[in-house]
This record gives sequence, C-alpha cells and structure tokens, in this order.
Amino acid sequence: MGLLSIIRKIKRKEKEMRILMVGLDNSGKTTIVLKINGEDTSVISPTLGFNIKTMAYNKYTLNIWDVGGQRTIRSYWRNYFEQTDGLVWVVDSSDLRRLDDCKFELDNLLKEERLSGASLLILANKQDIQGALSPDEITKVLNLEAMDKTRHWRIVGCSAYTGDGLLEGFDWRPLDERAVTTMIAL
Amino acid sequence: MEEQAPPPPLPTTTTETLDAATQRKHAAMLDRLSNLQQSRLLSHKPSPIDTPPSFESTQSFLSRFSTTKLAIESDLARIRQSPSDPNPIPDPKSQLQSLSLSIAGLEKFVAENSYFLPSYEVRTCLKSISDLKQTLDHVTSLVIPKKKFSFKSKPTKKGPIAPTSPTQTESRNTEPTKVGSFKVPDLPGFRSKESEVLTKVFKGGGLDEIGEFTVSDLVDCEVRLLGCLRALFVHRLRNCRVYVGPVFGSVLIEEVEGCVFVLASHQIRIHRATLNDFYLRVRSRPIIEDSCGVRFAPYCLRYDGVERDLEESNLNEETGNWANVDDFRWLKAVQSPNWAVLPESERISAVEILNPDT
Repeated sequence: MGLLSIIRKIKRKEKEMRILMVGLDNSGKTTIVLKINGEDTSVISPTLGFNIKTMAYNKYTLNIWDVGGQRTIRSYWRNYFEQTDGLVWVVDSSDLRRLDDCKFELDNLLKEERLSGASLLILANKQDIQGALSPDEITKVLNLEAMDKTRHWRIVGCSAYTGDGLLEGFDWRPLDERAVTTMIAL
Repeated sequence: MEEQAPPPPLPTTTTETLDAATQRKHAAMLDRLSNLQQSRLLSHKPSPIDTPPSFESTQSFLSRFSTTKLAIESDLARIRQSPSDPNPIPDPKSQLQSLSLSIAGLEKFVAENSYFLPSYEVRTCLKSISDLKQTLDHVTSLVIPKKKFSFKSKPTKKGPIAPTSPTQTESRNTEPTKVGSFKVPDLPGFRSKESEVLTKVFKGGGLDEIGEFTVSDLVDCEVRLLGCLRALFVHRLRNCRVYVGPVFGSVLIEEVEGCVFVLASHQIRIHRATLNDFYLRVRSRPIIEDSCGVRFAPYCLRYDGVERDLEESNLNEETGNWANVDDFRWLKAVQSPNWAVLPESERISAVEILNPDT
C-alpha cells in the first residue's frame, strides 16, 4: 500500500461521522432513522440491541447508531460512547409521566466524559400527537438551559410519523469546526 | 516368604509393642472407617439416579438424565399452576425444596459420569441443569407469595388500600411539576377509580384529531376504549379488564397485576407485569420486561365498526405476532419462563361490546 493510498484512506475516514442515537424506550428512535432513510416505518419492533444505518449526506458518510432504550439494556449504552461525534437524544413528547426518567437518563449521559466533545441534538418527537409538549416545554422540563455552557446543543420538535421537523433538526450547524462537520450531517 | 527377611511388621503383629492408648485409637479409627463406609452405602440407596457409573454408555446415561429431567420439569409445571388451581398443592415450599435436591442430585450424576461423556453432552446437560435451576427460582418466586408484587405492599404499610391509593396518585402527579418547576397539563385519561365501568368512544374525524389516552391507578375496573386512538399509556392497574380498539401508535403498559387486556396496536411494550392475560393484535413483536406469569392470545374484541377501525389503523391483518414475544430479561434462545401462550381452553370467548355510544 503506497503512501498516497494511506493518506486517501485517512481522508475518507475524516468524512465519516459517528452519530449515537439514544433515549427512553418508545421514544421513536428507530422510526426516526428509518423515516430519514425513506424506509417503511409501519412494522418496527422495540429494538433488542442496536441498528446501524449508514447514509450519505452531502459529502459525508453518516454512521447512525440507533441503540435500544429499554431499561434492561440502557446500561449497554456506554459501550457505544467511544468516538461519538454527534449525540441525538430522542424524547417522546407525549409521555409526560416518564419525563422524570427521561431527564434522569439524559443528565447521566451528559456526565459521561467520552461524550463531552459531542454536540447534542434533542428531538422532541411525536409532535403530531394531541397533548404532546412543545419543544419549549420540553426544554423547561429537562432544564436544558442549565446545561454546561461548553456544550453545543439544540432542540427541535419533530414527528417521525409524519416526517415533520426531521430535516430541520438534521440541518443544524453549530460554530466550531468539529461540530460543523457533525451537524451538517445532522 | 519364610526364607526372606521378616516382612515389615503388619499392624496386627505389632500390637504387643504398642501401648494401650494407641491401640484404642487404632480400633476407633477402624470403627469410624467402617461407619463411613456404611453410611456411604446407605446414602447411596435413596437417590434413584445415584447408581454407580458402571454402564459407561452415553446412550443409557442420556436416557436416564432426560427421564429425571422430565420428571423435575413436570413437577415444576404442576407447582407453577397450583396458585390458580382450585385445590392447590398443600405445601409447595417443601415440594420446591425437594425439587431443588433432585436438581442437585442430577448435577452430581452428570459430574460423576462426565469422565466418559463427550464434552458436548456434558455441556448440554449442565446447560439444562442451569435452566432447571432458573425455572425453579422463577416458580419459587411465583408460588411463595412474599415476592409477589410491589405496589400491593406499599399501601399496607400506611393502612388500608382504598384511602391511600388517591394519595399515591397525588404524589405521582406532582412529580413532573418538580422538574424544572414546570406545570404539566392534565391529559385525557381515566385515573384513580375503583370498581367502575369506564367507557370512552373515540370518534375520529381523521387521524389528526385522535390523541393519546392514559389509564392509570385503577382497581377492579372495566375499561372500554372504542374507536381509534393514537397512543395509549397504562400504568398501575390491578384486577382490571381493559378492552381497547385499534391504537395507531404504541401502547406502553407498566405495573399491572391480575388484569386482562384486549389490545390492537402497532407496538406494545409491557413492563413490570405480574399474572396478566393479553389478547393482542400487533404489527411488530410485543415485548415484556421485568414481568412474569404473563400469557398471550390473539385479539378478540368486537364492537360495531371494529373492522372498519382496524382497517383504518392498518391493523386488519392478523400477523400472528401476538405469540412472538421478546422478553428483555431473557435474552436466550430457549423459551422465557416469564411468559406463555394462553392455552385455547383457557381463553375467553370474544368480548362483545354493544352500543358503544351508551
């Protein structure tokens, strides 16, 4: 293997983004991924383990890791933290009872050192359901304003069912270089 | 022999030279040895599988192993059924103890014969033994009532069940308010009722008008939700019957005990459920987590217009997924002990609800 091909390979690697998608069970992570990818979302079983989707977005290759959110398997989330460029936290905006749970798990996640460099996109999913909280309300409930100032974050309301808001969320571009590359993707 | 040098002195020949104490010791030792031998022989007799491993044939070992295993399994199944039996087994605790001993015996049997068995057979046998142990643990937790269900014990600490259940609800409702000092609005639902029949008809004029619905903190109620709805949350129900028309999104059920559910939905998640029957139609695989004693059967709700509603919600097709349950607490290829298919003879006949408008 010549030097040139090695360099090419490294270059190609740089354009690969690793995006970790987590959140409580029933928040719609898998549905979001499949919807973005234009696949059928009518038959989705609760995720036992994880799914990886590779998508091309502009000149980037996105590796989206959609990890199951059932309580039993949340402890395995940490196995996916390494080298995560972008973090997507999905909230079921209609599940008011478990917003406590949701806040607790998100706070825990953000304490994780290996994720300290990752930008955070919060998707307030299920906006199509009557009675769902708006992104502003979710921001208050999850107390997002109190988050560490060094973290780039954004919340976007969406509906994986109708597809509304998904592209908006994935179009966000924070300022710093690292995050730019990530969030162009997002 | 006689011509050679005298043989090393045997114990018996040297007794004269030993003092009396040593002699006594010696006799006692012989005594102990023979006693040991006796007791060993005795203890071998009662256990049916403790035959000396003289046959050294994999075939006969395996057949003996599987007979014992089957016997233990059927005993376990019988004890497991006993709580719902009209005439329960008198002393399940001691029965379970003796079963535990049988399993230990079986394990010993494998260990004793492992020297001639192919390693594959040893592995398989040990695997079945560990499965048996797990089933035993599970059945024990089912039959011995102390572990039964958590929300039952909470109210009893404070006093009678009825007065405490509303306060429980109150404390729950205030929880979201604590978070970021945000007031959570009241959403449509049935909450904190006892011994009532609760009916709600969803007249969907298009799917966008259909929202979510919550059913929580009910005891001894019958809940009928007819028509299509978008999402359903079920939380803390005891001894209830819940009949629901098609749910176009997902259903989340947590902390239910002794209930019957008839549900059709795209996704169904069941958490912390004890001893419930579910009659489901579901497009994906239903899941259970931290549950036990749950049984599944196909959807059987009838009301005027159910076929139309099912079709509108894309649930008109019977996928058979009601029997494809994933247990997140049992990530193994073998069947989870926490759920079962409800035997046809024990299923309820179709639930028919007339005049949903009333």
